Amino acid sequence: MSDSTTHVAIGGDITIGCTVNGEAVAVQVPVRTSLSDMLRAALGLTGTHLGCEHGVCGACTIIVDGAAVRSCLMLAAQAEGSDIRTIEGLAVDGRWHPVQTAMHDHHGFQCAFCAPGFMMTAVAMLEDDPNRSEQEIREELGGNLCRCTGYESIVDGVLAAVATLRGAS
Amino acid sequence: MTSPETHHTGTFDTATQGSGLGAFTGTSVKRVEDHRLLVGDGRYVADVVPPGCLHAAFVRSPFPHARLTGIDTSEATRLPGVVSVITGSDIEELTNPFLPFLALPGLYTPLYHSLSSERVRFVGDPVALVVASSRAVAEDAAELVDVTYEVLDGIGTIDRALDPESEPIWPRAKNNLLYDRTTDHGDVEGVFADADHVFTETFRCPRQSNQPMETRGILVEVDSVTGAVSVRAATQAPHMLRWQIAAYARKESGPQSIRSFLTNPERRGAFLAAAKAFVGDKGEALQSSDSTAMQHQLKTEPRTALQMVRTGAQLLGRDDYPHVDADDIGGGFGAKGSVAREEIAVAAAALAIGRSIQWIEDRMENLMDGGQAREEELTLSIACDADGTVRGLDVDLVLDQGAYPGNPVGAPITVRIMEVMQPGAYRFEAFRQRSRIVATNKGKYVAYRGPWANETWARERMINVVARRLGLSQTEIRRKNMYGDEDWPAAMLTGPALDVTCSVRKTLERAEELADLDRLDALRADAVSRGKRLGIGFASYHEAAPGPPDYFEHVNPGTSALLDQPATASVSVDGTIQIWTSQMPHGQSHETTYAQLAADQLGVAIEDIELVYGDTSRAPFDLLGTGGSRGGPVGGGAVRKVGRHLRSVVVAKAADMLEASVDDVTIERGNIHVAGVPARGLTYAEVAARVVADGETVDGRDGTYAFSVDDTYTSAGDGGWSVATHVCWVEVDVETGIVEIPRYLVVEDCGPIINPAIVDGQVRGGVAQGIGAVLYERAAYDEQANPQASTYMDYLIPTATEIPRIEVDHMETLSPGENDHRGVGEGGMIGAPAAITNAIEDAIGVTVNDQHLPPYRILELMGIIRPD
Repeated sequence: MSDSTTHVAIGGDITIGCTVNGEAVAVQVPVRTSLSDMLRAALGLTGTHLGCEHGVCGACTIIVDGAAVRSCLMLAAQAEGSDIRTIEGLAVDGRWHPVQTAMHDHHGFQCAFCAPGFMMTAVAMLEDDPNRSEQEIREELGGNLCRCTGYESIVDGVLAAVATLRGAS
Repeated sequence: MTSPETHHTGTFDTATQGSGLGAFTGTSVKRVEDHRLLVGDGRYVADVVPPGCLHAAFVRSPFPHARLTGIDTSEATRLPGVVSVITGSDIEELTNPFLPFLALPGLYTPLYHSLSSERVRFVGDPVALVVASSRAVAEDAAELVDVTYEVLDGIGTIDRALDPESEPIWPRAKNNLLYDRTTDHGDVEGVFADADHVFTETFRCPRQSNQPMETRGILVEVDSVTGAVSVRAATQAPHMLRWQIAAYARKESGPQSIRSFLTNPERRGAFLAAAKAFVGDKGEALQSSDSTAMQHQLKTEPRTALQMVRTGAQLLGRDDYPHVDADDIGGGFGAKGSVAREEIAVAAAALAIGRSIQWIEDRMENLMDGGQAREEELTLSIACDADGTVRGLDVDLVLDQGAYPGNPVGAPITVRIMEVMQPGAYRFEAFRQRSRIVATNKGKYVAYRGPWANETWARERMINVVARRLGLSQTEIRRKNMYGDEDWPAAMLTGPALDVTCSVRKTLERAEELADLDRLDALRADAVSRGKRLGIGFASYHEAAPGPPDYFEHVNPGTSALLDQPATASVSVDGTIQIWTSQMPHGQSHETTYAQLAADQLGVAIEDIELVYGDTSRAPFDLLGTGGSRGGPVGGGAVRKVGRHLRSVVVAKAADMLEASVDDVTIERGNIHVAGVPARGLTYAEVAARVVADGETVDGRDGTYAFSVDDTYTSAGDGGWSVATHVCWVEVDVETGIVEIPRYLVVEDCGPIINPAIVDGQVRGGVAQGIGAVLYERAAYDEQANPQASTYMDYLIPTATEIPRIEVDHMETLSPGENDHRGVGEGGMIGAPAAITNAIEDAIGVTVNDQHLPPYRILELMGIIRPD
């Protein structure tokens, strides 16, 4: 079981400069820190959740430079200079993003542990192209697991957000 | 009586004020919880890390079954940042072993500790706990703990466990059969001899896992000055966790505990009063519990008696139990109703070191040790007449509980519920069940959403087998044999009373109407033209959510009192309203539904109700927390009862102030006034202020209140059954074996609905787990019990592309009683595996005996590929 040559803790800290929810930050973390741990532990942004820590469940999804990424699979060091958005930055001045409103209207979530990941995936998808069919939405959301809802309420929420965003544009 | 109309679609803006009784109940009020959970403001257990908190990681067995011959922690201890490494033998010094929670006649329950010291019994069995400055360092150090093992034969299947020569996992049990009992109802021999046909099939369900999206976790805080212990945890039952930590996480001297109890008159008095209150009118019921069960346990494991006395004395000897607080929880599905060995080990470590420790499980640990379920084999024989009248049912059940018993809810109680519910809503004349529980070297069996669901699966499969053999349709045979309104009052052969709420046949008839059965042939032909086979499957069940008043006495005599549900309602001195529940929400939206029930009773708005739960220093006591589809009927019943009670005392005071008769006082939109004279009304704050001025405040749960009332919804409440019929359509691709679900329909009857959108969500979520069980998920082990699914690459949870839209149709049969909301948490999962497998059998025309049907298995069944 023991193999001291490969399991020595990796020492040394690194300072990461990036933008998180519109604010420039400089965070000192151990070199091996994942981006999700940096957000949660160093910045206190605990809205980003860790469900599997191996890149399958999607609960930790955030938006980095406009793209939905799994923050458990990205090192903090890789985020140097990037623009990061998390669930905490979705509402503006207390006004919910249309995706949040739509999820509320459609009883999107239950335990809601997966909710931040789903909503960040949905936001990135709709910012990329708001004209999405139900099948496209289901495929885009296919990288996020929910154990409570059977997905119908989440899909309905995203469809409603599509309608809202279309109306607004 | 019934109003079989369709969906409720109304939504209600939570900002709208209540306007008297019944304004919110029955409408899809939007979720109160969303205001924090949709903005990332939830507080799940991993989100709270106090300054200076240490972190834990477990060293776990890589072998299914082995003797532990040595453990060397020196290298791990030397790693910078490591505070302590605690081994199994340390834990035996520090803690008490777990005790049996429920005893069944003939059942052996082992005594074991939170870490293993001499023998490991499954891959993932914890043998040491590392406490360090960070989780990463703790995990590094865990890999430096050098454990040596002498490998034993791993028992990975039910067949191997039933072999009397198999290596005993619990040596005191002599072999791996831990329970074997047969019960008869009616003249089984006579009915089977007399019937025209007897059909027999064996059904196998592989291991599944609950898999909530949030893993398990606990934070144990120790106050460095006072030593007070405070716990945060992802638990469905905070009071249960509190008691178990008090009982197990430290070991105290028995004589000293007893002295401490006897010399403290306050504690003695409090205990006697509590015992008297608990036994009260339940004395007779408690005495009816079976003492032969404990006799067998003591014979097999004599240490049980001493440990029970020691642990009992320890619980009596002090009153500084830890305080447990559970906040937001990321799902449980039964898994977090267990108290984990890890939770006790972390609490023991925190107490021993005197510092706060957090443990957050990772997904691999969760897949190995976070709770598994449902692995059962059932052989069913049905005796029936040529016309399709079913007469006798004979069942042989074997349940694979894995290595360690569920704590507290696991295999034994599941077996009892399976036995009681096995005949379903069919008019059998005789029923026999042999039930066995075996130990294997796998993760522990826990309650998983509708824990007894395989009684429904096997019975509904077998009913279809009988129908096919006799040339009857699936619906014909069910209609012919099910209880209906002409039968009441009736009782199941196993005891529980059946009444109008057992409306299973009505849901079947309604499902037939909605299923467009006249289009079925056209659908089949269309599927064939596309290289597919279409099939349809029906399945019907009734579940005790909460069940008739006598239900649990038939499951486990003498323990109904455990199911009582307390609630408190109060008005603060400033006029704010609190509802206090012992329920522990973890996705079911209690804050919304209970606010609906209470707001309607009290004539106020949803946001005027504060729900207090989860914090053991504040929430009312009950051991079981949330589970068993009890949140709506039982927890909700208690809220309605206590809300009505609070209204009556508030109205009485207001009537005094208004110089009116209580009968004339009404409450609308928070305005307490004489009916017809709203302009001269009082607010709750004004009434509360008068109570204060008049010196009439009362001591409530958490201080001084203007009003505070307590009520209990007892197991002898109004009760009733929650029922449904599921219909599934499948298309099987004959080349790939892939199964698609073009349509899925649920007709359910849970009585009057509190919040239709929430009920729909519960039903659909349950069906999705059923689809996962049949088509994707399997907690697979090999013959030697090596796990084959320890990541989400292997344990496949269905996604939005696999789960179809699910139609939900509601019937709302009223019960004869007053509190007639009934539960829906589990039903989706109970009906779905049966409906899906029945549909697949209908599509491929081959008898389906397995619950898990991935594409390769479909192709094997169709004879396209050969089984290996």
